[in-house]
Amino acid sequence: MSAATAKSSTRPGPPGAHSIVDRFLYEISRYSSTLLLLMVFTVETGVVIFVIRDLRAADSEVQTMYVRSVIGLRGIGGLQYDAQETRRATLYALTTNDSNLQVEYADQSRDADRRVTNGINEYLARARTASEIEVGKRLQSDWVEYLKVRDEVLASILEGSIKEAVDYDLKGGVPSFDRVRQDLEEIKRQYDEQASRQLADVDESSRRSAGRLVGVLCFTLLFASVSIWAIQRARMLSALKLAKLQMDFVASVSHELRTPLAVISASAQNIADGVVQEKDQLTRYGNVIRNHTRQLTELVNQILLFASTREGRTHYVMRPMSIEQLIDSVTHNTREVMREAGFTVDLQIEGDLPPILGDISALSQCLQNLVGNAIKYGGKSGRIALRAFLHKSDGPLSDEICIAVEDHGIGIDTSDLPHIFDPFYRSPAVAAAQIHGTGLGLPLAKSIAEAMGGKIMVVTKLGVGSVFTLHLPALKKGTLQTETISPDLLTRQ
Amino acid sequence: MLRRPPSLIIVLVLLLLGDGSAQKTVRASADVQNSVATDEGIAIVVNQENTVENLSMKDLRSIFLGERSHWGNGRRITLVMMEPGQLERKAILRDIYRMNEADFSRHFLQGLFTGEVFVSPKTLASPVGVRKFIFNVPGAIGYVRASDVDSTIKVVRIDGRLPDDKDYELRMQPHTGTK
Repeated sequence: MSAATAKSSTRPGPPGAHSIVDRFLYEISRYSSTLLLLMVFTVETGVVIFVIRDLRAADSEVQTMYVRSVIGLRGIGGLQYDAQETRRATLYALTTNDSNLQVEYADQSRDADRRVTNGINEYLARARTASEIEVGKRLQSDWVEYLKVRDEVLASILEGSIKEAVDYDLKGGVPSFDRVRQDLEEIKRQYDEQASRQLADVDESSRRSAGRLVGVLCFTLLFASVSIWAIQRARMLSALKLAKLQMDFVASVSHELRTPLAVISASAQNIADGVVQEKDQLTRYGNVIRNHTRQLTELVNQILLFASTREGRTHYVMRPMSIEQLIDSVTHNTREVMREAGFTVDLQIEGDLPPILGDISALSQCLQNLVGNAIKYGGKSGRIALRAFLHKSDGPLSDEICIAVEDHGIGIDTSDLPHIFDPFYRSPAVAAAQIHGTGLGLPLAKSIAEAMGGKIMVVTKLGVGSVFTLHLPALKKGTLQTETISPDLLTRQ
Repeated sequence: MLRRPPSLIIVLVLLLLGDGSAQKTVRASADVQNSVATDEGIAIVVNQENTVENLSMKDLRSIFLGERSHWGNGRRITLVMMEPGQLERKAILRDIYRMNEADFSRHFLQGLFTGEVFVSPKTLASPVGVRKFIFNVPGAIGYVRASDVDSTIKVVRIDGRLPDDKDYELRMQPHTGTK
């Protein structure tokens, strides 16, 4: 048998909602458009994070390029300057005969050459590519060669052999220093090329980022547009569904009102026209008018009750009650209907059941609706069962009192099962079979059950019958006698 | 780093409080240096690359008089002197040249003119200058106080003795020991 609870229900598709998209939108709209907005927000957040990450990556790339290129070029600039300084100080020593000044220039030259040597070592430590390492080592070797010549030149100058110093410098110093200069130019050229390559990379990366940004923005715009369209369409489908249900309801209620009104009107007309004169006839007509008036009253009451529960205006007076008390009320109120429909009720109430807390009038109405449905859809079996029993809880929840209403009628189709608790819903098969109803009985029963902290479960099989079970939390035994219920439990909206 | 400012303050306070005593200390150390200087040896120093380890007083005198032009390894000898008036120069004139300033000048003028002297001494103002000169010139030879010697130059033994040795002859004050 199929089973469903009052808490799980899906509405049918809206009128004209045939496509998968509409179906999807309709299903989403059931859980409110907030969900859609949340989805939009989530996607937007993801997009923003993506864009920020992309921008940061591009920024980091540019910074890395700047650090490598600018610091590298600055280092090479420093090396070039110090190399020139080494040579300049050496040549300055040629310009004086003062040994003290010559020593000072020699000192300056040596300071500068130390800086160059350190700079070359640093460059080699930073070098990554084979060409960088190669040119770095060549520069190191050429620099050592130049320093050997420079030392000889300095020694000659300090010795006072100026001609010898000049000869040394022209033969060895100039060519070796030229090699050093070429090496430095080569390194500088490599840095320039590297910077150009990195600049091209950054340019490419920037173009990629811009493309991605445009793509992401387009996607965001598209997504937002689709979302807005979806939200509006979902709302429209929801409104259409509501309008159809309301129209169905109006048609159904009109029908339900018109039938008894027509009977009452015809009966009253016959009495007024003097067609009915016999006492027996008058009694029969009176009964007909009374029964249809009662039917009308019940219908109007049910509509008003549903409206009040929907608007949250219903106030329940919560009191402890025994199950027997509740069942008595239900059987008493439905006795007449059952008699007229030719139904008998099979009562099975477990002994020593704990009491429950609830509004007896509301719970009675809830069970009456279930019993009324059992009669209405009970077919020709002519009997229904009303059972009350205790369901012990294994977990931390309290025990439950279960009141089951069982019929042996037409049962409920699996496709209708998820919708039977939706307001105004009427199964197409039921409508086709001319079984009258408003589609409010089960939604009302569900509202009441939930207001009492309970639920309704259904077990059904098409052509075999249905069992609707009302689950209510049980109170501890003895509560009924002492009636010490917390004041906040006594009223519930 | 956080402890530095208090440390600085403490040092400044101590300096201010102990200003008078600090001056006394400086003066006392200067006196000690003078007394040491009077007996301090004068080191004959050469370039680190120079293979010469020991010179006889005779050879040293010959070199300083400019009578030798080259070292054994072929390097030209460059003689380094300090400026006139310096204590070290006075000691060298006394102990090696056995001349006064006038005789010294005359010796080199005359020697260079006649070709008997091959080397003209270079004159430097300070021990630091001497050290740097010798460091830069492989064939240079000069002199500094023993306390001015550092790792950039090499001290040559004279008659097998170093400036710290008891019978070392070249000192700021005339040597009074026996040979």
